[in-house]
Amino acid sequence: MHKFEPWFCVPALILPAMVSAPAFAVQYLNLEQAQKALFPSADQFVSAAVTLSPEQRRAIETASGVKVRVNEVKAWRAKQGAKFEGWFVLDEVIGKHELITYAVAIAPDGSVEGVEILDYREGHGGGVRNSKWRAQFNGKKAGSPLQLDDDIKNLSGATLSCRHLTEGVRRVLATQAVALK
Amino acid sequence: MNAVVEQKIRARPLLGTFVEIAASGTSGSVHAAISQAFDAVAEVHALMSYQDPASELSRINQFGIDGPVAVHSHTWEVLRAARELAEASAGLFDITIAPTLTRLGFLPPHANFPRASRHGDWRHVALLPGQRVQFLRRVRIDLSGIAKGYAVDLAIRVLQAAGMQSGRVNAGGDLRVFGTTAQTIHVRAPHAPTQVLPLLNLTDGAAATSAAYFAQRRHAQRMVTPLIHPHTRSASSAERSITVLAPHCMHADALTKVVQADPAQAAKILARYQARAVIVEHDPVSGGFRVFDSAHTSGCPLSGSLPLAGERDNVSLRMFKDALSPSSLPQAGERDKVSLREKRFIAA
Repeated sequence: MHKFEPWFCVPALILPAMVSAPAFAVQYLNLEQAQKALFPSADQFVSAAVTLSPEQRRAIETASGVKVRVNEVKAWRAKQGAKFEGWFVLDEVIGKHELITYAVAIAPDGSVEGVEILDYREGHGGGVRNSKWRAQFNGKKAGSPLQLDDDIKNLSGATLSCRHLTEGVRRVLATQAVALK
Repeated sequence: MNAVVEQKIRARPLLGTFVEIAASGTSGSVHAAISQAFDAVAEVHALMSYQDPASELSRINQFGIDGPVAVHSHTWEVLRAARELAEASAGLFDITIAPTLTRLGFLPPHANFPRASRHGDWRHVALLPGQRVQFLRRVRIDLSGIAKGYAVDLAIRVLQAAGMQSGRVNAGGDLRVFGTTAQTIHVRAPHAPTQVLPLLNLTDGAAATSAAYFAQRRHAQRMVTPLIHPHTRSASSAERSITVLAPHCMHADALTKVVQADPAQAAKILARYQARAVIVEHDPVSGGFRVFDSAHTSGCPLSGSLPLAGERDNVSLRMFKDALSPSSLPQAGERDKVSLREKRFIAA
């Protein structure tokens, strides 16, 4: 008989079901830190928040091909002294498994300077779309620290596509072109 | 006076996934080091993206059949490593499966790429002196199975060069850590990817996990994954996750595909890269997980040459043992840290 036994035929270990931990949430940056990370030389961020009109909404959806779900645009002008350095736009995307708060830095010429993720939260299955699930994060927007679960920070095999975020960035760019002056 | 140490962690969308970089070092220097590390990842992304028609990779795919194409040293490094892995694995790792991935809808079609031949493979990607690449047949290459790992290695080098004391780069499951303290690596449960399992502790080294739970799509009335067997060019199904540990993340990343394609053949190749594979499979009967470890199987004549727990790369399987001892089972009140048991277990 052959003594050879492939290593994947006999389990080295059986793990019980209960060692699995729940999904996780991380806060990477608060609002101020994200502004600093994207515009390191800026010394002033002036709020330029706008509410989109139905026409602007349609224009953004046509230009980006992405649905606009929220009318409020959280935007700031980054300035170094009197010099305008660009736009800082705070946005949120909701995927099947994830809820992500992120910021886009847009140069005065309308190009993307950078994208930083502020909060990343993952739910069980479709939990992110569930308003009750989302409610637990209310009041924990950028600026106030979200409890970071230190136990789950090195997650291998997390190849979650960032397609939703890519679409979000496209929508933010169109929003800047349409609504931020 | 002792310098104050601070730890920072940031994430950006790059390489088609979320790249997370954490580092600790002297206060005030950490954000700049992380920014530099992100720049290195962004450079790899710009050079080796299959999706981006302006990337260097797209230029190779478009003009590689016409004559030698000179490439950046990063791209060269990855192509050379891919060649070596293809040779070592007799083609189990193959960067020319792009046409299959395009056909299944995982990669976008490019109208300006020459039509791909059905008879080309990794042997038809010639690496010529002067960091030049030429296709000997009409192949198309996709580096997504190896470039992410390379980007992680590069970012780690940047953090180290910037004087960081410890750090971690995680590109959607391809991760590498360095420093003095062990960091626990978690993997997703293959059958329920929103749940995670603590798998092992890593102090200095890389871990890459390959699984298809988030990447499945429907093609011709069945679910397919982007994990393609290079010899049969068929897609495998999603039922287990494969984690490879290695000193370099580029090797760990690529070797997950080799283990996926042929676990029996993989043992020899893993040893060559000082790597080790851990397969996690969900057991629907018990609700638990079967764990196969290439370094832990008795009776396998090759296991002796593989790193043992705690010896090389400071990889240890302590978590496994902790997980099995009764004292580590969650107590009531620790519920916010450990998920509630699955319903059928509470019922049972």
